[in-house]
Amino acid sequence: MIRKELVAASAEPLILSLLARGESYGYAIIQEVKARSDGKLQWTDGMLYPVLHRMEHRGLIKSRWGESETGRKRKYYSLKKDGKTAMAKHHEQWSLVHSVLSGLRKEQYV
Amino acid sequence: MFDLEKSIADWRQQMLAAGIKTPVPLEELENHLREDIAQQMQSGLSAPQALGIAVKKIGQAPELKREFKKTGIPMEIQKIIKLAGVICVTVALFCQLFTCPPFVFAFGFSLMTRVLLLAVWAITVATTVLSWRYNHKLLPVIRNQPLRRAVGIVCYMGCLLWMRFVLFHLPEFATGSLSLLVFLFGSEWTVMAILGGVGHGLEKAVSRHDLKTAS
Repeated sequence: MIRKELVAASAEPLILSLLARGESYGYAIIQEVKARSDGKLQWTDGMLYPVLHRMEHRGLIKSRWGESETGRKRKYYSLKKDGKTAMAKHHEQWSLVHSVLSGLRKEQYV
Repeated sequence: MFDLEKSIADWRQQMLAAGIKTPVPLEELENHLREDIAQQMQSGLSAPQALGIAVKKIGQAPELKREFKKTGIPMEIQKIIKLAGVICVTVALFCQLFTCPPFVFAFGFSLMTRVLLLAVWAITVATTVLSWRYNHKLLPVIRNQPLRRAVGIVCYMGCLLWMRFVLFHLPEFATGSLSLLVFLFGSEWTVMAILGGVGHGLEKAVSRHDLKTAS
């Protein structure tokens, strides 16, 4: 399991990157992250929604009420222009951390 | 006999009792709970087992409430604030446009006075419009939410005081002059637009700062 601090820090870039592929809703976002991380990256389900709402209030994403296959109301989220900019910055920063870590690890094996 | 609908209604009541009162989050959480229950039941679990797991996964109400409280001003209220801003600015500009230029050219002011009056008018128009658009770039980032709200309330009180002054004192001077009354009415909306812009700008300054630092 991944530490909760890292899970929290990665929530925003992951949500932005998932929504960059098209609009989605809370349950699907959680399932997708779980599947892509082989279940190692797990949020407390309910905690996703305050994060989504905060991102919406900051103008990164927007939402609309739609309908699920069963006819129930479902809230769909999609990326806004500021969200795309934020996502690019997240990618840049996480890539930098990744490259520094990779470099240090390679040096250990030299 | 286990009643799934009743159990979900009970869970909803527990969430409400714990303080998650806003309809939108609760509606979303309930939808999530139902989707998870359906998924678990498709995997072969019984309804009570599926409900138990889904409720556990969704988390405790006090923790959720704490997180939702950090969310800030709801989107719906932000839209109302923006609409109020647009109305204030539009009414203010409309009144200014129909009273200021005739006032400047109606009396026997000297050229210099007219230029000065027009300059003051132009600055007021610019401030009225731009305070909503660009205030967040000039105003400080006040991270302390109660302090930020207090400044917003002071601005609101300022509007009320100005309205009281305009409504109960200035009309005495404007008796019989329709254009002066319109001018006063416009100035009232101008003050509201400018002070409203300050309150809005403070909130926007924080959210913009958060956007920059987080990303």
